[in-house]
Amino acid sequence: MQIDARKCVGCGQCRPFCTMGVIHFTRSGKGTKVHCTVDEDECVDCGICYRSTVCPVEALHQPIHGWPRSIRGTFSNPLAEHKETRVPGRGTEEMKTNDITNRYKRGYAGMAAEMGRPGTGARMRDAEKVFKALAKLGVEFETNNPLTGLLKDKETGEMNPEVLNEKVLSAIIEMIIPINMVIPVLETMERVAEEINTVFSIDLVARIDEDLSDPVARIMRENDKWISMNGKANLGLGHLNVKGAVG
Amino acid sequence: MSHTLHRQGNEDNLQEDYIVFSMTAKKFNEVNSRHALKEFLRILDKYEHVNLGDMKTGGKFLVNKEQIIENVADTSIVHAVFSDRTQLKAVLKELKAADLGVSVIVSGMVKHVEEACKEAGIERHTVEYSVGIRGKLAMLPEDELLEITTMCGHGMVSQHLVRQMLIDLKGGRRTAQEAGEYLATPCVCGAFNPRRAQRLLEELAEIWCFDEV
Repeated sequence: MQIDARKCVGCGQCRPFCTMGVIHFTRSGKGTKVHCTVDEDECVDCGICYRSTVCPVEALHQPIHGWPRSIRGTFSNPLAEHKETRVPGRGTEEMKTNDITNRYKRGYAGMAAEMGRPGTGARMRDAEKVFKALAKLGVEFETNNPLTGLLKDKETGEMNPEVLNEKVLSAIIEMIIPINMVIPVLETMERVAEEINTVFSIDLVARIDEDLSDPVARIMRENDKWISMNGKANLGLGHLNVKGAVG
Repeated sequence: MSHTLHRQGNEDNLQEDYIVFSMTAKKFNEVNSRHALKEFLRILDKYEHVNLGDMKTGGKFLVNKEQIIENVADTSIVHAVFSDRTQLKAVLKELKAADLGVSVIVSGMVKHVEEACKEAGIERHTVEYSVGIRGKLAMLPEDELLEITTMCGHGMVSQHLVRQMLIDLKGGRRTAQEAGEYLATPCVCGAFNPRRAQRLLEELAEIWCFDEV
């Protein structure tokens, strides 16, 4: 995002919308008018300052960036699509459609590290550190995830070096693992978390067992690991004959 | 992985926050699913919700509700937020009876969602948990602000906007309700809960002060 210094009246109304807090007041020289400016290196191109429409003089504008800067907007703006990976959104359908896709089968768990969530943003070099740590466990990264598309080597977790300095609001390292790998993966995430200059949120998903018990809650409880009282449930109401869909 | 999974809070305020949403699966049942997704939203709209939206169009604090429903596409992810468990239970019963064939997902306190499902005669298929935040935690804002900002999982509600709303509230420039609803506007999915935000802002306004004021 950029701000046209000639148009900007320095009212600052865009500043609180900035998800990264990187819109600052400045002036071009002594005695010149105050205006706002964006620290473009720290900006993730989420576009919310522009979409808020609070600027009274239309000084905000989003340049069309080429590779690799282009990934900032595609990972940070929820309205953008991934041209590079041709996958929309930051993640996948994951468990939201598991009643249809059976992506997470019994005996397996889904885990993810949501890099930069909540609200800190993340450089890809930090995502690479987490990728590399998890790759050593032999996990298979979700192929439909747009972040996986930025890997140079899925076996080692090495990312395309061109993107390492790019910063995004969030990006999701996603994998499906045998359910007995939940604790080793979690502990690996906890170890590598000490080496990164951002935060990540961890997701854990599994299909309910035939006896209606919840296998991942049991595993976490048995290993004295914390899970939130808050969660997400797919209710299993989906099927292939959607009402009103013909053919 | 999820835009509704990592909402922070305590049992007292999370029990006023349930997101019911729907989508269909690419390459499986997506084609022409928009009719069922529209009907899904119309069912949800019959009940007392605090937000409603579709990422393709926006939330109801940005866009007219009818426009949101009319614009629903096969690829939409449609949401409504409820602050009352009684409403949640009634919604789930009607959704089960409607048998739309679209995937239905509920985010909220796990034990309450499970209870609502049982009352509606629904067996949960898959469950997802937040396992918390790791890394450089000093970069995070105060927990009280995270309870508000994490209601937009895409991170569109900035901590700085929340601080601004608190300043406005304390300065008498907005009511808590107005501030809560304003905070819902950056959330294009309509997953933000402005009523819970209002309550949290009211609580914070009592105990916080700002050098900026």
